[in-house]
Amino acid sequence: MSQSAAKQTDPNLESELYKKREKLYPREVHGVFAVLRLLTMAALLGAYYGMPWINWDGHQAVLFDLPARKFYIFGLTLWPQDFFYLSMLLIIAAISLFLFTALAGRLWCGYACPQTVWTEIYMWIERKIEGSSKAQRKRDQGPRDAAYFGIKSLKHAAWLLFSLWTGFTFVGYFTPILELWTNVITWTLGPWETFWIFFYGFATYGNAGFMREQVCIYMCPYARFQSAMFDHDTLIISYDEKRGNPRGSRKRGTPSAEVGLGDCIDCSLCVQVCPVGIDIRDGLQYQCIGCAACIDVCDDVMDKMGYPRGLVKYTTENALMGNPTRIVRPRVLAYVAILAFVSIALLYALLTRVPLEVDIIRDRNALYTETDQGLVQNVYNLKIINMDDRPQRFRLAVSGLEGLKVIGQTEGIEIGSGAVIDLPLRVEIDPIELKSSSTEILFHIESEINPQELSIDEHARFLGPVSR
Amino acid sequence: MSTMPATEADKNQLPLVQQIVSIMWPSFLTASAATIIFFTLFDPIELGQIGGFPSLTRTGGYTIGFFCFWLLTSISCALTCYFRRPTNRFNTTNKTTES
Repeated sequence: MSQSAAKQTDPNLESELYKKREKLYPREVHGVFAVLRLLTMAALLGAYYGMPWINWDGHQAVLFDLPARKFYIFGLTLWPQDFFYLSMLLIIAAISLFLFTALAGRLWCGYACPQTVWTEIYMWIERKIEGSSKAQRKRDQGPRDAAYFGIKSLKHAAWLLFSLWTGFTFVGYFTPILELWTNVITWTLGPWETFWIFFYGFATYGNAGFMREQVCIYMCPYARFQSAMFDHDTLIISYDEKRGNPRGSRKRGTPSAEVGLGDCIDCSLCVQVCPVGIDIRDGLQYQCIGCAACIDVCDDVMDKMGYPRGLVKYTTENALMGNPTRIVRPRVLAYVAILAFVSIALLYALLTRVPLEVDIIRDRNALYTETDQGLVQNVYNLKIINMDDRPQRFRLAVSGLEGLKVIGQTEGIEIGSGAVIDLPLRVEIDPIELKSSSTEILFHIESEINPQELSIDEHARFLGPVSR
Repeated sequence: MSTMPATEADKNQLPLVQQIVSIMWPSFLTASAATIIFFTLFDPIELGQIGGFPSLTRTGGYTIGFFCFWLLTSISCALTCYFRRPTNRFNTTNKTTES
Protein backbone atom coordinates (compact mmCIF):
# COMPACT_ATOMS: atom_id res chain seq x y z
CA MET A 1 0.00 0.00 0.00
CA SER A 2 2.65 2.46 1.10
CA GLN A 3 4.62 1.59 -1.99
CA SER A 4 1.79 2.54 -4.30
CA ALA A 5 1.29 5.72 -2.30
CA ALA A 6 4.93 6.62 -2.82
CA LYS A 7 4.51 6.04 -6.52
CA GLN A 8 1.56 8.36 -6.58
CA THR A 9 3.60 11.24 -5.25
CA ASP A 10 6.25 10.99 -7.93
CA PRO A 11 5.08 8.97 -10.91
CA ASN A 12 8.29 9.57 -12.85
CA LEU A 13 10.56 8.03 -10.30
CA GLU A 14 10.10 4.31 -10.70
CA SER A 15 11.83 1.95 -8.35
CA GLU A 16 13.96 0.22 -10.89
CA LEU A 17 16.05 -2.90 -11.07
CA TYR A 18 19.39 -1.17 -11.33
CA LYS A 19 18.87 2.29 -9.95
CA LYS A 20 16.26 4.94 -9.43
CA ARG A 21 15.39 5.91 -12.92
CA GLU A 22 13.56 8.79 -14.41
CA LYS A 23 11.07 7.32 -16.84
CA LEU A 24 11.92 8.41 -20.36
CA TYR A 25 9.42 9.65 -22.89
CA PRO A 26 11.50 9.80 -26.08
CA ARG A 27 9.94 12.12 -28.62
CA GLU A 28 9.18 10.78 -32.08
CA VAL A 29 11.69 11.74 -34.79
CA HIS A 30 11.46 12.06 -38.54
CA GLY A 31 14.41 12.21 -40.87
CA VAL A 32 16.90 10.26 -42.93
CA PHE A 33 18.16 8.08 -40.11
CA ALA A 34 14.69 7.54 -38.69
CA VAL A 35 13.65 6.16 -42.08
CA LEU A 36 16.77 4.03 -42.19
CA ARG A 37 16.03 2.71 -38.71
CA LEU A 38 12.44 2.02 -39.65
CA LEU A 39 13.52 0.09 -42.75
CA THR A 40 16.03 -2.06 -40.86
CA MET A 41 13.44 -2.63 -38.15
CA ALA A 42 10.86 -3.76 -40.71
CA ALA A 43 13.39 -6.00 -42.46
CA LEU A 44 14.68 -7.59 -39.25
CA LEU A 45 11.27 -8.11 -37.66
CA GLY A 46 9.95 -9.40 -40.97
CA ALA A 47 12.82 -11.88 -41.13
CA TYR A 48 12.31 -12.94 -37.52
CA TYR A 49 8.56 -13.50 -37.76
CA GLY A 50 8.56 -14.78 -41.34
CA MET A 51 11.57 -17.08 -41.46
CA PRO A 52 10.08 -20.05 -39.57
CA TRP A 53 7.21 -20.23 -42.08
CA ILE A 54 9.49 -20.67 -45.09
CA ASN A 55 9.99 -24.20 -46.33
CA TRP A 56 13.03 -25.62 -48.05
CA ASP A 57 13.34 -29.05 -49.58
CA GLY A 58 10.40 -30.40 -47.62
CA HIS A 59 11.46 -29.07 -44.23
CA GLN A 60 11.38 -25.78 -42.41
CA ALA A 61 14.14 -23.62 -43.93
CA VAL A 62 15.69 -22.55 -40.63
CA LEU A 63 14.95 -24.95 -37.82
CA PHE A 64 17.11 -25.75 -34.83
CA ASP A 65 15.13 -28.89 -34.24
CA LEU A 66 15.86 -29.53 -30.59
CA PRO A 67 13.42 -32.45 -30.18
CA ALA A 68 15.13 -34.25 -33.07
CA ARG A 69 18.64 -32.90 -32.37
CA LYS A 70 19.13 -31.66 -35.94
CA PHE A 71 19.80 -28.18 -37.23
CA TYR A 72 18.47 -27.21 -40.63
CA ILE A 73 19.85 -24.07 -42.24
CA PHE A 74 18.40 -24.08 -45.74
CA GLY A 75 20.26 -26.80 -47.67
CA LEU A 76 22.54 -27.64 -44.78
CA THR A 77 21.68 -30.17 -42.08
CA LEU A 78 23.83 -30.07 -38.99
CA TRP A 79 23.99 -32.58 -36.17
CA PRO A 80 25.18 -32.16 -32.59
CA GLN A 81 28.48 -33.60 -33.83
CA ASP A 82 28.74 -30.59 -36.14
CA PHE A 83 28.67 -28.12 -33.27
CA PHE A 84 32.09 -27.04 -34.49
CA TYR A 85 30.55 -25.40 -37.56
CA LEU A 86 28.05 -23.49 -35.49
CA SER A 87 30.74 -22.22 -33.16
CA MET A 88 32.73 -21.12 -36.21
CA LEU A 89 29.66 -19.23 -37.40
CA LEU A 90 29.39 -17.57 -34.00
CA ILE A 91 33.07 -16.58 -34.13
CA ILE A 92 32.52 -15.09 -37.58
CA ALA A 93 29.53 -13.14 -36.26
CA ALA A 94 31.58 -11.85 -33.32
CA ILE A 95 34.51 -10.72 -35.46
CA SER A 96 32.16 -9.06 -37.95
CA LEU A 97 30.68 -7.17 -35.02
CA PHE A 98 34.19 -6.06 -33.97
CA LEU A 99 34.96 -4.96 -37.52
CA PHE A 100 31.75 -2.97 -37.87
CA THR A 101 32.30 -1.42 -34.48
CA ALA A 102 35.83 -0.32 -35.35
CA LEU A 103 34.59 1.20 -38.60
CA ALA A 104 31.18 2.59 -37.79
CA GLY A 105 30.87 2.63 -34.02
CA ARG A 106 27.71 1.31 -32.48
CA LEU A 107 25.97 0.59 -35.73
CA TRP A 108 24.76 -2.68 -34.27
CA CYS A 109 23.27 -1.03 -31.18
CA GLY A 110 21.54 1.74 -33.05
CA TYR A 111 19.99 -0.22 -35.87
CA ALA A 112 20.16 -4.00 -35.57
CA CYS A 113 20.24 -5.06 -31.93
CA PRO A 114 17.07 -6.96 -30.95
CA GLN A 115 16.81 -4.80 -27.85
CA THR A 116 16.71 -1.65 -30.02
CA VAL A 117 14.43 -3.16 -32.64
CA TRP A 118 11.87 -4.46 -30.16
CA THR A 119 12.00 -1.31 -28.06
CA GLU A 120 11.29 0.61 -31.24
CA ILE A 121 8.26 -1.46 -32.16
CA TYR A 122 6.96 -1.38 -28.57
CA MET A 123 7.33 2.40 -28.52
CA TRP A 124 5.52 2.53 -31.83
CA ILE A 125 2.62 0.55 -30.34
CA GLU A 126 2.73 2.79 -27.28
CA ARG A 127 2.54 5.92 -29.43
CA LYS A 128 -0.31 4.53 -31.51
CA ILE A 129 -2.36 3.88 -28.36
CA GLU A 130 -1.19 6.49 -25.87
CA GLY A 131 -0.36 9.31 -28.24
CA SER A 132 2.79 11.44 -28.41
CA SER A 133 5.42 11.48 -25.70
CA LYS A 134 3.94 14.73 -24.42
CA ALA A 135 0.48 13.16 -24.11
CA GLN A 136 2.00 10.14 -22.36
CA ARG A 137 3.79 12.27 -19.82
CA LYS A 138 0.66 14.29 -19.17
CA ARG A 139 -1.41 11.15 -18.67
CA ASP A 140 1.13 9.67 -16.23
CA GLN A 141 1.09 12.84 -14.17
CA GLY A 142 -2.69 13.19 -14.38
CA PRO A 143 -5.44 11.52 -12.37
CA ARG A 144 -5.84 7.76 -12.20
CA ASP A 145 -9.30 7.72 -13.69
CA ALA A 146 -11.17 5.23 -15.85
CA ALA A 147 -9.74 6.69 -19.04
CA TYR A 148 -6.23 6.29 -17.68
CA PHE A 149 -6.70 2.64 -16.78
CA GLY A 150 -8.60 1.97 -19.98
CA ILE A 151 -5.87 3.26 -22.24
CA LYS A 152 -3.11 1.63 -20.16
CA SER A 153 -4.86 -1.76 -20.24
CA LEU A 154 -5.26 -1.43 -23.99
CA LYS A 155 -1.53 -0.76 -24.38
CA HIS A 156 -0.52 -3.65 -22.15
CA ALA A 157 -2.95 -5.98 -23.90
CA ALA A 158 -1.41 -5.05 -27.26
CA TRP A 159 2.10 -5.47 -25.85
CA LEU A 160 1.25 -8.83 -24.30
CA LEU A 161 -0.31 -10.14 -27.50
CA PHE A 162 2.73 -9.07 -29.47
CA SER A 163 5.00 -10.64 -26.81
CA LEU A 164 3.17 -13.95 -26.98
CA TRP A 165 3.45 -13.97 -30.74
CA THR A 166 7.15 -13.25 -30.34
CA GLY A 167 7.49 -16.12 -27.87
CA PHE A 168 5.57 -18.43 -30.17
CA THR A 169 7.83 -17.53 -33.10
CA PHE A 170 10.89 -18.06 -30.92
CA VAL A 171 9.80 -21.57 -29.98
CA GLY A 172 8.99 -22.07 -33.68
CA TYR A 173 12.71 -21.91 -34.42
CA PHE A 174 13.26 -24.93 -32.18
CA THR A 175 10.24 -27.10 -32.86
CA PRO A 176 8.53 -27.29 -36.26
CA ILE A 177 6.30 -24.21 -36.32
CA LEU A 178 3.41 -25.73 -38.26
CA GLU A 179 3.09 -28.49 -35.69
CA LEU A 180 3.36 -25.90 -32.95
CA TRP A 181 0.66 -23.76 -34.53
CA THR A 182 -1.65 -26.77 -34.86
CA ASN A 183 -1.05 -27.49 -31.19
CA VAL A 184 -1.86 -23.90 -30.28
CA ILE A 185 -5.18 -23.79 -32.11
CA THR A 186 -6.24 -27.25 -30.97
CA TRP A 187 -5.23 -26.35 -27.42
CA THR A 188 -2.87 -29.34 -27.15
CA LEU A 189 0.40 -27.53 -26.58
CA GLY A 190 2.94 -29.50 -24.54
CA PRO A 191 3.90 -28.15 -21.10
CA TRP A 192 7.49 -27.31 -22.08
CA GLU A 193 6.54 -25.48 -25.27
CA THR A 194 3.89 -23.54 -23.36
CA PHE A 195 6.44 -22.64 -20.72
CA TRP A 196 9.01 -21.35 -23.23
CA ILE A 197 6.44 -19.34 -25.20
CA PHE A 198 5.45 -17.57 -22.00
CA PHE A 199 9.02 -17.28 -20.74
CA TYR A 200 10.33 -15.70 -23.91
CA GLY A 201 7.17 -13.63 -24.34
CA PHE A 202 7.52 -12.33 -20.81
CA ALA A 203 11.19 -11.47 -21.39
CA THR A 204 10.26 -9.52 -24.52
CA TYR A 205 7.47 -7.70 -22.68
CA GLY A 206 9.81 -6.77 -19.85
CA ASN A 207 12.81 -5.82 -21.97
CA ALA A 208 11.05 -3.86 -24.69
CA GLY A 209 8.21 -2.45 -22.61
CA PHE A 210 9.90 -1.58 -19.33
CA MET A 211 13.66 -2.16 -19.15
CA ARG A 212 14.47 -0.51 -22.48
CA GLU A 213 17.64 1.59 -22.26
CA GLN A 214 18.55 0.02 -18.91
CA VAL A 215 19.33 -3.22 -20.75
CA CYS A 216 21.92 -1.33 -22.80
CA ILE A 217 23.34 0.61 -19.89
CA TYR A 218 23.51 -2.07 -17.21
CA MET A 219 22.96 -5.52 -18.67
CA CYS A 220 24.64 -5.63 -22.04
CA PRO A 221 28.18 -7.02 -22.05
CA TYR A 222 28.84 -5.67 -25.53
CA ALA A 223 27.95 -2.12 -24.46
CA ARG A 224 30.61 -2.43 -21.77
CA PHE A 225 33.47 -3.52 -23.98
CA GLN A 226 32.59 -1.92 -27.32
CA SER A 227 34.81 1.05 -26.54
CA ALA A 228 37.80 -1.29 -26.77
CA MET A 229 37.21 -1.41 -30.53
CA PHE A 230 37.03 2.37 -30.83
CA ASP A 231 39.82 4.59 -32.05
CA HIS A 232 40.09 8.13 -33.40
CA ASP A 233 38.86 7.01 -36.83
CA THR A 234 35.71 5.29 -35.62
CA LEU A 235 32.43 6.79 -36.73
CA ILE A 236 30.71 8.39 -33.77
CA ILE A 237 27.79 10.72 -33.29
CA SER A 238 29.02 14.02 -32.04
CA TYR A 239 27.97 17.57 -31.38
CA ASP A 240 30.21 20.14 -33.01
CA GLU A 241 31.18 22.13 -29.94
CA LYS A 242 33.25 24.69 -31.82
CA ARG A 243 30.33 25.56 -34.04
CA GLY A 244 27.53 25.25 -31.49
CA ASN A 245 28.84 27.05 -28.43
CA PRO A 246 27.99 29.40 -26.82
CA ARG A 247 24.42 28.15 -26.90
CA GLY A 248 21.38 30.32 -26.63
CA SER A 249 17.95 31.00 -28.03
CA ARG A 250 17.32 33.61 -30.63
CA LYS A 251 14.66 34.57 -33.17
CA ARG A 252 14.19 32.31 -36.16
CA GLY A 253 16.46 33.22 -39.06
CA THR A 254 18.83 35.37 -37.03
CA PRO A 255 22.46 34.74 -38.05
CA SER A 256 24.44 33.44 -35.06
CA ALA A 257 27.19 36.04 -35.43
CA GLU A 258 24.66 38.82 -35.03
CA VAL A 259 23.69 37.71 -31.53
CA GLY A 260 27.19 36.61 -30.58
CA LEU A 261 26.20 32.97 -30.10
CA GLY A 262 27.10 29.62 -31.62
CA ASP A 263 24.69 27.72 -33.86
CA CYS A 264 23.10 25.71 -31.04
CA ILE A 265 19.80 27.38 -30.14
CA ASP A 266 19.55 25.28 -26.98
CA CYS A 267 16.11 23.94 -27.91
CA SER A 268 16.94 20.66 -26.08
CA LEU A 269 15.21 18.61 -28.76
CA CYS A 270 18.28 16.37 -29.03
CA VAL A 271 17.78 15.49 -25.37
CA GLN A 272 14.05 14.96 -25.78
CA VAL A 273 14.43 12.43 -28.60
CA CYS A 274 17.23 10.46 -26.97
CA PRO A 275 16.08 6.93 -26.14
CA VAL A 276 18.74 6.57 -23.42
CA GLY A 277 18.19 10.01 -21.93
CA ILE A 278 21.58 11.64 -22.43
CA ASP A 279 22.65 15.02 -23.74
CA ILE A 280 24.84 14.44 -26.79
CA ARG A 281 26.30 17.92 -26.33
CA ASP A 282 28.16 16.65 -23.26
CA GLY A 283 30.41 14.62 -25.54
CA LEU A 284 30.77 10.92 -26.32
CA GLN A 285 29.11 8.85 -23.59
CA TYR A 286 29.05 5.11 -23.10
CA GLN A 287 25.24 5.18 -22.84
CA CYS A 288 24.92 6.46 -26.42
CA ILE A 289 23.68 3.62 -28.60
CA GLY A 290 24.32 5.54 -31.82
CA CYS A 291 20.71 5.64 -33.01
CA ALA A 292 21.17 9.05 -34.69
CA ALA A 293 17.79 10.38 -33.50
CA CYS A 294 19.54 13.55 -32.33
CA ILE A 295 21.07 14.05 -35.78
CA ASP A 296 17.66 13.92 -37.46
CA VAL A 297 16.01 16.29 -35.03
CA CYS A 298 18.90 18.78 -35.03
CA ASP A 299 19.11 18.84 -38.83
CA ASP A 300 15.44 19.71 -38.82
CA VAL A 301 16.04 22.60 -36.45
CA MET A 302 19.02 23.82 -38.46
CA ASP A 303 16.82 23.81 -41.60
CA LYS A 304 14.20 25.89 -39.82
CA MET A 305 16.81 28.33 -38.56
CA GLY A 306 18.39 28.57 -41.99
CA TYR A 307 21.73 27.25 -40.67
CA PRO A 308 23.74 24.51 -42.38
CA ARG A 309 22.96 20.96 -41.23
CA GLY A 310 25.34 18.81 -39.24
CA LEU A 311 25.65 20.52 -35.87
CA VAL A 312 25.15 17.01 -34.54
CA LYS A 313 26.47 14.49 -37.05
CA TYR A 314 28.24 11.26 -37.77
CA THR A 315 31.91 12.06 -37.61
CA THR A 316 35.19 10.79 -36.21
CA GLU A 317 37.38 12.16 -33.47
CA ASN A 318 40.08 12.86 -36.03
CA ALA A 319 37.67 14.82 -38.18
CA LEU A 320 36.53 16.82 -35.16
CA MET A 321 40.15 17.72 -34.45
CA GLY A 322 40.66 18.68 -38.06
CA ASN A 323 42.79 15.67 -38.95
CA PRO A 324 42.13 13.37 -41.90
CA THR A 325 40.13 10.20 -41.16
CA ARG A 326 41.66 6.91 -42.22
CA ILE A 327 39.38 4.01 -43.02
CA VAL A 328 42.12 1.49 -43.72
CA ARG A 329 44.24 1.13 -40.61
CA PRO A 330 46.04 -1.72 -38.81
CA ARG A 331 43.09 -2.49 -36.55
CA VAL A 332 40.68 -2.78 -39.48
CA LEU A 333 43.16 -4.84 -41.49
CA ALA A 334 43.64 -7.20 -38.57
CA TYR A 335 39.90 -7.76 -38.16
CA VAL A 336 39.48 -8.28 -41.91
CA ALA A 337 42.37 -10.75 -41.97
CA ILE A 338 40.98 -12.80 -39.06
CA LEU A 339 37.51 -12.67 -40.56
CA ALA A 340 38.75 -13.84 -43.95
CA PHE A 341 40.80 -16.63 -42.38
CA VAL A 342 37.94 -17.99 -40.27
CA SER A 343 35.43 -17.67 -43.13
CA ILE A 344 37.68 -19.56 -45.55
CA ALA A 345 38.37 -22.20 -42.92
CA LEU A 346 34.64 -22.66 -42.33
CA LEU A 347 33.93 -22.84 -46.05
CA TYR A 348 36.67 -25.40 -46.53
CA ALA A 349 35.46 -27.44 -43.58
CA LEU A 350 31.90 -27.38 -44.88
CA LEU A 351 32.91 -28.37 -48.40
CA THR A 352 35.06 -31.28 -47.24
CA ARG A 353 32.63 -32.39 -44.55
CA VAL A 354 31.87 -36.11 -44.66
CA PRO A 355 28.21 -36.57 -43.77
CA LEU A 356 28.85 -39.86 -42.04
CA GLU A 357 29.51 -40.48 -38.39
CA VAL A 358 30.23 -43.60 -36.42
CA ASP A 359 30.44 -44.14 -32.68
CA ILE A 360 31.87 -47.40 -31.43
CA ILE A 361 30.80 -48.51 -28.00
CA ARG A 362 32.38 -51.58 -26.46
CA ASP A 363 30.09 -54.05 -24.81
CA ARG A 364 30.04 -53.13 -21.13
CA ASN A 365 29.34 -56.58 -19.72
CA ALA A 366 32.58 -58.34 -20.50
CA LEU A 367 36.02 -57.19 -21.62
CA TYR A 368 36.30 -60.24 -23.85
CA THR A 369 34.92 -63.76 -24.06
CA GLU A 370 36.39 -67.01 -25.28
CA THR A 371 34.35 -68.98 -27.78
CA ASP A 372 33.96 -72.78 -27.90
CA GLN A 373 36.61 -72.85 -30.63
CA GLY A 374 39.08 -71.10 -28.33
CA LEU A 375 38.90 -67.77 -30.11
CA VAL A 376 38.92 -64.43 -28.29
CA GLN A 377 35.80 -62.44 -28.97
CA ASN A 378 35.03 -58.74 -28.40
CA VAL A 379 31.55 -57.29 -28.81
CA TYR A 380 31.03 -53.81 -30.19
CA ASN A 381 27.97 -51.77 -30.79
CA LEU A 382 28.33 -49.42 -33.75
CA LYS A 383 26.13 -46.38 -33.99
CA ILE A 384 26.23 -45.24 -37.61
CA ILE A 385 24.67 -41.93 -38.57
CA ASN A 386 24.02 -41.13 -42.20
CA MET A 387 23.98 -37.33 -42.28
CA ASP A 388 23.67 -37.27 -46.07
CA ASP A 389 20.57 -35.98 -47.82
CA ARG A 390 20.09 -39.36 -49.54
CA PRO A 391 19.69 -42.89 -48.18
CA GLN A 392 22.91 -44.90 -48.48
CA ARG A 393 24.18 -48.47 -48.46
CA PHE A 394 27.41 -49.00 -46.59
CA ARG A 395 29.97 -51.75 -46.20
CA LEU A 396 32.37 -52.25 -43.37
CA ALA A 397 35.83 -53.72 -42.80
CA VAL A 398 37.95 -54.20 -39.70
CA SER A 399 41.74 -54.15 -39.76
CA GLY A 400 44.67 -53.84 -37.40
CA LEU A 401 45.30 -57.46 -36.49
CA GLU A 402 46.06 -60.54 -38.59
CA GLY A 403 43.11 -62.89 -39.02
CA LEU A 404 40.38 -60.74 -37.56
CA LYS A 405 36.96 -62.18 -38.25
CA VAL A 406 33.79 -60.13 -38.11
CA ILE A 407 30.52 -61.78 -37.23
CA GLY A 408 27.54 -59.65 -38.16
CA GLN A 409 26.40 -57.56 -41.08
CA THR A 410 29.32 -56.08 -43.00
CA GLU A 411 27.69 -55.40 -46.38
CA GLY A 412 24.54 -53.78 -47.65
CA ILE A 413 24.03 -51.79 -44.49
CA GLU A 414 21.13 -49.55 -45.44
CA ILE A 415 20.64 -46.27 -43.61
CA GLY A 416 18.03 -43.70 -44.55
CA SER A 417 18.82 -40.02 -44.92
CA GLY A 418 19.40 -38.53 -41.51
CA ALA A 419 18.87 -41.87 -39.80
CA VAL A 420 20.86 -43.65 -37.13
CA ILE A 421 21.27 -47.40 -36.87
CA ASP A 422 22.69 -49.57 -34.13
CA LEU A 423 24.86 -52.34 -35.52
CA PRO A 424 26.04 -54.99 -33.06
CA LEU A 425 29.22 -56.71 -34.21
CA ARG A 426 31.33 -59.50 -32.80
CA VAL A 427 35.01 -59.54 -33.71
CA GLU A 428 36.98 -62.76 -33.21
CA ILE A 429 40.64 -63.66 -33.37
CA ASP A 430 42.91 -66.56 -32.58
CA PRO A 431 44.71 -65.62 -29.32
CA ILE A 432 48.04 -66.56 -30.94
CA GLU A 433 47.78 -63.39 -33.00
CA LEU A 434 47.42 -61.18 -29.95
CA LYS A 435 50.65 -59.43 -29.02
CA SER A 436 49.26 -57.50 -26.10
CA SER A 437 46.18 -57.34 -23.90
CA SER A 438 44.93 -54.29 -25.73
CA THR A 439 45.37 -53.60 -29.43
CA GLU A 440 44.08 -50.77 -31.52
CA ILE A 441 41.92 -51.89 -34.42
CA LEU A 442 40.37 -49.84 -37.17
CA PHE A 443 36.80 -49.89 -38.43
CA HIS A 444 36.47 -48.64 -41.97
CA ILE A 445 33.00 -47.80 -43.23
CA GLU A 446 32.31 -46.66 -46.76
CA SER A 447 29.43 -46.11 -49.12
CA GLU A 448 29.03 -48.98 -51.59
CA ILE A 449 28.23 -46.58 -54.42
CA ASN A 450 30.55 -43.73 -53.62
CA PRO A 451 33.40 -45.09 -51.45
CA GLN A 452 35.83 -42.29 -52.31
CA GLU A 453 33.74 -39.47 -50.97
CA LEU A 454 31.69 -41.12 -48.29
CA SER A 455 33.92 -43.08 -45.98
CA ILE A 456 35.09 -42.89 -42.42
CA ASP A 457 37.66 -44.55 -40.16
CA GLU A 458 37.17 -45.04 -36.49
CA HIS A 459 39.54 -46.58 -33.97
CA ALA A 460 38.57 -49.01 -31.24
CA ARG A 461 40.39 -51.24 -28.80
CA PHE A 462 40.46 -55.01 -28.99
CA LEU A 463 41.01 -56.61 -25.60
CA GLY A 464 42.25 -60.09 -24.92
CA PRO A 465 43.97 -62.26 -22.31
CA VAL A 466 47.30 -60.93 -21.02
CA SER A 467 50.08 -62.31 -23.13
CA ARG A 468 53.61 -62.69 -21.98
CA MET B 1 22.60 -6.90 14.97
CA SER B 2 20.53 -3.86 14.25
CA THR B 3 22.34 -1.93 16.97
CA MET B 4 25.63 -2.19 15.09
CA PRO B 5 26.65 1.04 13.47
CA ALA B 6 26.51 1.05 9.69
CA THR B 7 30.00 1.15 8.25
CA GLU B 8 31.04 2.93 5.09
CA ALA B 9 31.01 -0.41 3.29
CA ASP B 10 27.47 -1.06 4.47
CA LYS B 11 26.29 2.13 2.89
CA ASN B 12 27.87 1.08 -0.38
CA GLN B 13 25.75 -2.07 -0.44
CA LEU B 14 23.30 -2.32 -3.31
CA PRO B 15 19.59 -2.32 -2.56
CA LEU B 16 18.08 -5.80 -2.35
CA VAL B 17 16.37 -5.76 -5.73
CA GLN B 18 19.59 -4.71 -7.45
CA GLN B 19 21.49 -7.44 -5.64
CA ILE B 20 19.00 -10.02 -6.89
CA VAL B 21 19.26 -8.78 -10.47
CA SER B 22 23.04 -8.67 -10.34
CA ILE B 23 22.93 -12.32 -9.27
CA MET B 24 20.29 -13.56 -11.69
CA TRP B 25 21.46 -11.89 -14.89
CA PRO B 26 25.13 -12.98 -15.18
CA SER B 27 24.14 -16.45 -14.03
CA PHE B 28 21.47 -16.54 -16.73
CA LEU B 29 24.10 -15.76 -19.38
CA THR B 30 26.55 -18.40 -18.20
CA ALA B 31 23.78 -20.95 -17.68
CA SER B 32 22.64 -20.46 -21.28
CA ALA B 33 26.16 -21.07 -22.57
CA ALA B 34 26.58 -24.11 -20.32
CA THR B 35 23.25 -25.56 -21.49
CA ILE B 36 24.21 -25.26 -25.14
CA ILE B 37 27.59 -26.89 -24.65
CA PHE B 38 26.30 -29.62 -22.34
CA PHE B 39 23.42 -30.71 -24.55
CA THR B 40 25.59 -30.65 -27.65
CA LEU B 41 27.56 -33.43 -26.03
CA PHE B 42 24.77 -35.29 -24.26
CA ASP B 43 21.33 -36.32 -25.41
CA PRO B 44 18.74 -35.70 -22.67
CA ILE B 45 16.81 -38.83 -23.63
CA GLU B 46 19.86 -41.01 -23.03
CA LEU B 47 20.59 -39.17 -19.78
CA GLY B 48 16.98 -39.69 -18.73
CA GLN B 49 17.22 -43.41 -19.37
CA ILE B 50 20.41 -43.73 -17.38
CA GLY B 51 19.05 -41.56 -14.58
CA GLY B 52 15.79 -43.45 -14.30
CA PHE B 53 13.45 -41.00 -16.04
CA PRO B 54 12.51 -43.00 -19.14
CA SER B 55 9.53 -40.76 -19.97
CA LEU B 56 11.61 -37.57 -20.16
CA THR B 57 11.24 -35.77 -23.49
CA ARG B 58 14.10 -33.88 -25.08
CA THR B 59 12.44 -30.49 -24.71
CA GLY B 60 11.75 -31.32 -21.06
CA GLY B 61 15.35 -32.40 -20.58
CA TYR B 62 16.70 -29.19 -22.08
CA THR B 63 14.41 -27.10 -19.89
CA ILE B 64 15.25 -28.92 -16.68
CA GLY B 65 18.93 -28.86 -17.61
CA PHE B 66 18.84 -25.13 -18.22
CA PHE B 67 17.21 -24.38 -14.90
CA CYS B 68 19.60 -26.68 -13.04
CA PHE B 69 22.50 -24.80 -14.60
CA TRP B 70 20.86 -21.49 -13.77
CA LEU B 71 20.36 -22.59 -10.18
CA LEU B 72 24.02 -23.59 -9.90
CA THR B 73 25.42 -20.47 -11.54
CA SER B 74 23.14 -18.22 -9.51
CA ILE B 75 24.28 -19.95 -6.33
CA SER B 76 27.90 -19.16 -7.16
CA CYS B 77 26.98 -15.57 -8.03
CA ALA B 78 25.04 -15.30 -4.78
CA LEU B 79 27.99 -16.66 -2.81
CA THR B 80 30.28 -14.11 -4.43
CA CYS B 81 27.81 -11.41 -3.48
CA TYR B 82 27.57 -12.77 0.05
CA PHE B 83 31.32 -13.04 0.65
CA ARG B 84 31.84 -9.54 -0.66
CA ARG B 85 29.84 -8.17 2.21
CA PRO B 86 31.74 -6.46 5.00
CA THR B 87 32.43 -8.81 7.87
CA ASN B 88 33.16 -6.25 10.56
CA ARG B 89 29.48 -5.73 11.28
CA PHE B 90 29.26 -9.24 12.68
CA ASN B 91 32.81 -9.64 13.98
CA THR B 92 33.15 -6.31 15.62
CA THR B 93 35.13 -5.96 18.85
CA ASN B 94 33.54 -4.65 22.02
CA LYS B 95 35.52 -1.44 21.76
CA THR B 96 33.69 -0.21 18.71
CA THR B 97 30.26 -0.89 20.14
CA GLU B 98 31.09 0.88 23.40
CA SER B 99 32.21 4.06 21.72
